[in-house]
Amino acid sequence: MTKLRHFFRIYLPFSRAGIQEMVAYRANFICFLIGEIVSAFIMFFVWKAVFASSSQQTFNGFTLEDMVVYVFITFLTGYLTYSDGAFAIGEEIVDGSIATRMIRPCSFDMCFLFHELGSRLISIAMIFVPIVAGVEIYRCVITGSVRFDIPHFLLYLLSLTVAYGISFYFNVCYGFMAFFFKNLWGTSLIKETLTSFLSGAIVPLAFLPAPLAAVLNFLPFASLSYTPVMIYMGMYSYAEIAYRIGLQLFWLLAMFLLSKLIWRCAVKRLSVQGG
Amino acid sequence: MDKMIYVDNLRKEFKKVIKEPGLKGSVKSLFSPKKEIITAVDGVSFDVDRGEILGFIGPNGAGKSTVIKMLTGILTPTSGMCRINGKIPQEDRKNYVREIGVVFGQRTQLWWDLALRETYAVLKEIYEVPDEQYHKRMAFLNEVLELDDFITSPVRTLSLGQRMRADIAASLLHSPKVLFLDEPTIGLDVVVKENIRGAIRQINEQEGTTVILTTHDLSDIELLCERIVMIDKGKKVFDGALSQLKHSYGQMRTFRFELLSPDDIALLDYRGRFKLSDDDCSTEVKKASVCVKFNSSLVSVEDMISYTLQTVHVKDIEIRDVEIEEIIKRLYKREVAV
Repeated sequence: MTKLRHFFRIYLPFSRAGIQEMVAYRANFICFLIGEIVSAFIMFFVWKAVFASSSQQTFNGFTLEDMVVYVFITFLTGYLTYSDGAFAIGEEIVDGSIATRMIRPCSFDMCFLFHELGSRLISIAMIFVPIVAGVEIYRCVITGSVRFDIPHFLLYLLSLTVAYGISFYFNVCYGFMAFFFKNLWGTSLIKETLTSFLSGAIVPLAFLPAPLAAVLNFLPFASLSYTPVMIYMGMYSYAEIAYRIGLQLFWLLAMFLLSKLIWRCAVKRLSVQGG
Repeated sequence: MDKMIYVDNLRKEFKKVIKEPGLKGSVKSLFSPKKEIITAVDGVSFDVDRGEILGFIGPNGAGKSTVIKMLTGILTPTSGMCRINGKIPQEDRKNYVREIGVVFGQRTQLWWDLALRETYAVLKEIYEVPDEQYHKRMAFLNEVLELDDFITSPVRTLSLGQRMRADIAASLLHSPKVLFLDEPTIGLDVVVKENIRGAIRQINEQEGTTVILTTHDLSDIELLCERIVMIDKGKKVFDGALSQLKHSYGQMRTFRFELLSPDDIALLDYRGRFKLSDDDCSTEVKKASVCVKFNSSLVSVEDMISYTLQTVHVKDIEIRDVEIEEIIKRLYKREVAV
């Protein structure tokens, strides 16, 4: 217990620093948020047009109402699990400021984790309740009944947390690539696009050909976004949920271990560019 | 005396991709990069006593910073070993860095967007400094480094001098046993330099902190260090007391005098009189004032002066002590064999 308290005593200051930095650059965050919301609405209008031009009421088991929930909850999940650690780590490796991090008696990933949680705390608080409330009111108006389900919601929160962990360590691994490539900007565009497609953030995996969907469902990318969203929407049975969250935990562990392995190899060839 | 720092045959190699010039070269290096191994540090050994201030000098690119980065656990040596206070930096980094303080003059380790006071509060938690000790420490650092004027400002708004003082304070907050200062006075004005030197000396004297200092400002060395280690091209070229350096390599002496009539300069011929080569004797003449540099191991100061006084009428004469800067300049240019 004292060990845990000690742990938080060390790393909570990083969260505090994150909050303060966020406040210092609030315009940046507000613009980012607006951009994300606009793109969610674009997805919404695209799907609305798709459904309007189709003679069918449902697509692969999705009604228009499901699709709206899917789009906005995917947006919310994507926003909450977004981790920009890769960029920060990559930059620090390239400009050599990683050196100043290594002279502190802290664990490298924990510093980033707590800093990121701190810097996003306010935005999470600002966006979470409105989106969930908006989606639920919409569902209520369309279907005429309350569809909000507390067990599924709690399981969604659990799955979301694990998804964030996977996203975080995935990006840490990716950030360490800067040790080898020295610059991450170009490849990060590919990474972003691939991730959003493979995780089902653009098109639900259920819409893809069955063999492809089966493969993607198993890959870590589905754990990032598709799994929590499906849980929220009540698309999975409890048995299925248990399996999915188990799979997520497996990927979290895998990413965590991978990041440690890369760090070990990388630190030996660290060359701190410039001075 | 027990040793605080042992460095034994430390070596660091970097792989460097060589790119041929032009677009064609870029494309070529993308597919079959040519690699070259660069030895930045080539078998350096030295040790440092507890409570000593060691000046670690060498020309640009000599490998000073690379050594410091290995000693602080940032880089892993290719071979060789360093041990600080009985610990090997790379083995248990998190525990090791609790005992050291590091300042890189070229980059700040403060949080760019935080007020300075917040930065120290964060560091207090990270290093688990108890409240009482923290307040005492802050009062002490405030006094030595005069942080009060800017302690509430965000780090990004500080001037270079303020930032450096803040950085040094940050490195000392947890009372480290060893302090690594990598160019702590770079780009600072005379007053701030003085201030920082005073702080380093005071901390060394009061707490017995061992200090390793790299710098290009030789007055830092003269005012702070008794012993220096000089490296060049990754190899150690000198290790010893400053006075020893002066003694061994300080043969070049300088004296100046003012002639009563400027035309008399034609009468003086030091090289002919004492059979000295151009390297061992040079004169600089500016109107009536003459500056003579000569190798005192070949001709005594006395002979030079008496020859001068016998040959010409002199208004004023000044003999200078050996200048450390001159010796080091010659060492860097490899005029002096080591």
